[in-house]
Amino acid sequence: MPIANVVNMCSHLQNASRARLGLTSVQHSKYNLHVLLALHRAGFLSFVTRGGPFPPDPATLSTFEPEPLTTANVASQRLWVGLKYSDNQPVMRHVASITTPKRPITANLSALERLCRGFDASRQRGLNLGEAMVVGTDLGTLEIREAVERKVGGLLLCRVGP
Amino acid sequence: MSVVRPARCLLSRRFAATGQPAAGATPRCHAAPFHSSTQLSAKHKSRFKSIRAEEMGLVTPEKVEEYSKKMFPKYTPEEMDILRERYTPEQMVALEAGEAAVDPKDLTIQGRIRKDPYRLPYLDDFSKIQPIIDKRPNTLPPPDPNGRFMTQEEHADDLTKLLENLIPKDVNFENMSEQEIEKILNERVNLSMEQAKYWNDPTTMTDKKPSNTALAPGLGKKLAGVEGMYKPPIDPADEGLDDQGLYQDLKRRTGLSVRDILSISTKILVIRNVDNQTRLGKIRSMWVLAIAGNGNGRLGVGEAKSVEPAVAQMKAKLLAIQNMQPIRRYEDRTIFGSVTAKVGATIVKIDSRPPGFGLRASHRLFEIFRSVGIHDIAAKMPRARNPMNSVKACLQALTSQKDPNELAIGRGKKLVDVRKVYYGGNVY
Repeated sequence: MPIANVVNMCSHLQNASRARLGLTSVQHSKYNLHVLLALHRAGFLSFVTRGGPFPPDPATLSTFEPEPLTTANVASQRLWVGLKYSDNQPVMRHVASITTPKRPITANLSALERLCRGFDASRQRGLNLGEAMVVGTDLGTLEIREAVERKVGGLLLCRVGP
Repeated sequence: MSVVRPARCLLSRRFAATGQPAAGATPRCHAAPFHSSTQLSAKHKSRFKSIRAEEMGLVTPEKVEEYSKKMFPKYTPEEMDILRERYTPEQMVALEAGEAAVDPKDLTIQGRIRKDPYRLPYLDDFSKIQPIIDKRPNTLPPPDPNGRFMTQEEHADDLTKLLENLIPKDVNFENMSEQEIEKILNERVNLSMEQAKYWNDPTTMTDKKPSNTALAPGLGKKLAGVEGMYKPPIDPADEGLDDQGLYQDLKRRTGLSVRDILSISTKILVIRNVDNQTRLGKIRSMWVLAIAGNGNGRLGVGEAKSVEPAVAQMKAKLLAIQNMQPIRRYEDRTIFGSVTAKVGATIVKIDSRPPGFGLRASHRLFEIFRSVGIHDIAAKMPRARNPMNSVKACLQALTSQKDPNELAIGRGKKLVDVRKVYYGGNVY
């Protein structure tokens, strides 16, 4: 149930950032990891790293090396995520999933271009000031502007905004 | 001592104290203190000794004599002449007899501050008139109750009498030529002055003597004790724009000059009649919501209530100016992105629009956008459209716009506006 994991992660990230948490963890899965990396590239997260059941030490985070993944420890692995705050407000206040396991929502390139420019497309509201979308494409999980740049459409995973 | 301490304890202490022989000085009071405050050690005495008037030499015969002469002097011959003009000889005889009968020393010594039950509740010297406190004395007789307006004939007679009075009495006009008479009259009578007097101060009543009037006397311009004390609060920096002093408080609060305050456009957007139901009935008053905007990105909303509509409107306008705050605008014509705000059941959604779009909004929101200097916008109220809440929600929406630079800093991005980059900047 990869999509369900992403949906759960979206809710969890929104709750965590509204609760003003500094860092949080989500389930370790490839799909989650790719969405988180897309958000990290867009600047919504301060760091994304794999770790054990306990969070990495923030002081040595830049040199943190997660233990090698083995069949023995893979079940206890988590993805640790740093949340960002600016001017005492969370950078990522709204995180809403779009595609659900029951209803995948896709958008082709022209729809993505419209969404990017703030117009409605694919039954979605256009992006507002400071908003972003994560799109699952053939070229990987990308932020919407990356997808438009690489001229590829795909599955609308989630919508993130201030 | 705590109040909750049982009374038994207090009483036992008291009995113990009385039972024991007194050691040293006897205590002033044997009663146990029934209060928690500390006892005064001794009766309070004044720090200063009172000195009698005799010791100060104030009641010696010389002092009494001096005071009597100063306070109750005899009438001077000039004063007697004035009195003689005013009173009849019989009255003067009585006055002189009274003067002779009363010794000024008695007035000094026997003068007492009244202690009888019929005294006035304040001290006053009735021989003097204080112009601020006391009623003015009526120096003139009351007006003639039979006075009426003159008839036409009486008026004509009055005018002839007036003219006759103008003719000088000490000149013999007999055997004079007309030219000579005219010359003398021109010399002796200022006819234009008399004309002006007549037209300025015409008396059409049969009773021409001056009399008291029932009207209250006008306030004197040079009232003793008040002269020079009152200055109207007019600031020369206002350039005569605020002689009523309406904007002085706002000027102090905002630091704006009166000219700047007056240049800010205000508009009343909502008026409601509100009632306070008391047991004596409804007290009706008016609630007013006004906006103020400088047309260049500043907006304020003020609400005020008063029984007087004009007062409520003025207060609301002043408050609106006082509450003015900056509103973020994109290119000084629209807002950043779309914002939504909710007050009560009223939701106001505002969307930015391209140049030349205009203001597509309901009339109150239109006024708000116009006063703040927004020219392209689309506003929608999908739910309730309560007048008060729509204005408040619109203000809330405008102020809740996010700063794009702040967002970019939060995400660690660099923000560049590329509108005006292409086509040589001629995008509109």
